[in-house]
Amino acid sequence: MEDIIPKFNYIVVVVLMMTGLWSMLAQGNLIKKCIGMAIFQTGIILFFISIGAKNDALIPILTEGANHTFDNPNIDKVTNPLTQILMLTAIVVGVATLGVGLALAQKVYQQHDSFDEDEILNNQTK
Amino acid sequence: MADLPIWHYDTLFLTLALLFGITALAMQNLMGAAIVFGAYSFLMCLIWTTMGAVDVAFTEAAVGAGVSTVFIFATIYNTGVSATPNSPRIAFKIFAGLIAFGTGAFLLSALPDFPDWGDPKSPVNSTIAPYYIANSITDAHVPNIVTTVLADYRGFDTLLETTVVFIACIAIYSILRIDNAKSKVTEPDIITSPPAYDPTDSLIIRQASRIMVPFMQLFALYVIAHGHYSPGGGFQGGVILGASIILLSISFDLKHVLQQWTEKKIMILTALGVLIYAMVGLACILMDGVYLDYAALDSVLPGDEAYARSHGILLVEIGVGITVMFSMIGIYINLASNGRFDRGL
Repeated sequence: MEDIIPKFNYIVVVVLMMTGLWSMLAQGNLIKKCIGMAIFQTGIILFFISIGAKNDALIPILTEGANHTFDNPNIDKVTNPLTQILMLTAIVVGVATLGVGLALAQKVYQQHDSFDEDEILNNQTK
Repeated sequence: MADLPIWHYDTLFLTLALLFGITALAMQNLMGAAIVFGAYSFLMCLIWTTMGAVDVAFTEAAVGAGVSTVFIFATIYNTGVSATPNSPRIAFKIFAGLIAFGTGAFLLSALPDFPDWGDPKSPVNSTIAPYYIANSITDAHVPNIVTTVLADYRGFDTLLETTVVFIACIAIYSILRIDNAKSKVTEPDIITSPPAYDPTDSLIIRQASRIMVPFMQLFALYVIAHGHYSPGGGFQGGVILGASIILLSISFDLKHVLQQWTEKKIMILTALGVLIYAMVGLACILMDGVYLDYAALDSVLPGDEAYARSHGILLVEIGVGITVMFSMIGIYINLASNGRFDRGL
């Protein structure tokens, strides 16, 4: 346990990503695939946010506090802002790509009356 | 256990989030899966707050738990609720499971090489990030370091991410949009059959949303304008503004909203946001600076160079807000009406 708890975040990241990957590979339903893609994405976001987190640190909005000032902030006590901004934009782009995925799924449904991969393939071979 | 100050809440939340994620994927009913996925996003939002990423948590609450759940609902509304259980494909699922398990084991084999969770001296936290923390105030007079990095230090990154949102919006238009006059495709049954009750009849929902929408929009404007000093900014404010219009079109109906915001207006405004961002960069070149170096705008903006950066960030955030707002509305309208622009959720 002493070895696992300081690295527990990485284990959750890997399990989330692999759950999403399995869902994208194995589930026949197109909406489930889209949800799996979003879960894979949150796994990656969790990885970035958790490597930027620091023990006992404040949020990355500077204040005049007891242990640091505006001009000379205590860097070890402020959470890493860089990983956060990378993921902030990734979330918004993620919802836009989720929208594209859902739009494609709707178009497929219009053509084949089904979300299921097997039925779509059967329709095409007919 | 004295050296594990904050992580015991996080381990609990992370385990819960894993359960929610797996439940969302395992559910047969797609509507249920969408709701559990929204709950999962909200749990993630809590996790990011405990890790100190307040801006990310804000974005996730607006985008992941709010708008993306609505998008999935809109798709399900136009198609069907239940994931029809048919050929189980057991062998293929086990094969995919083995692939995922193998990849996961491969990734986990690198586990001992990673720095401990929350180590302030890890490579990520000790290379470039300290510069941003130390210089945000002197460079731009902005206490919220995330805003400074987003719009100033890494302005190119954000410009292109905004463009990606814009392009995704155009892609959805080109995939789904059907011109009613020209199309010969028959409408899906679920749309031609009359709804069980007329949603526009609900007086309570209509009045409640009529009261809520102006306050949502006011709050969103505050979030954009106050992004320098508190969590928030163009992305979050834009999503909230978009959500207020989406709320109107759910509680009234799509036609009602499209009378105010015509398709043409929405498309032009989506492009306008990216244009504002790019033009601010161009103005910096014209004023003898580098692209997106707002200090060059010093002579036209009030205050010293640092304040010029601060105001430049605000201009850029307004552009981001406009693009994100109208992209969200455009994506929702297409998904909800199946590209026909006649009837929504």
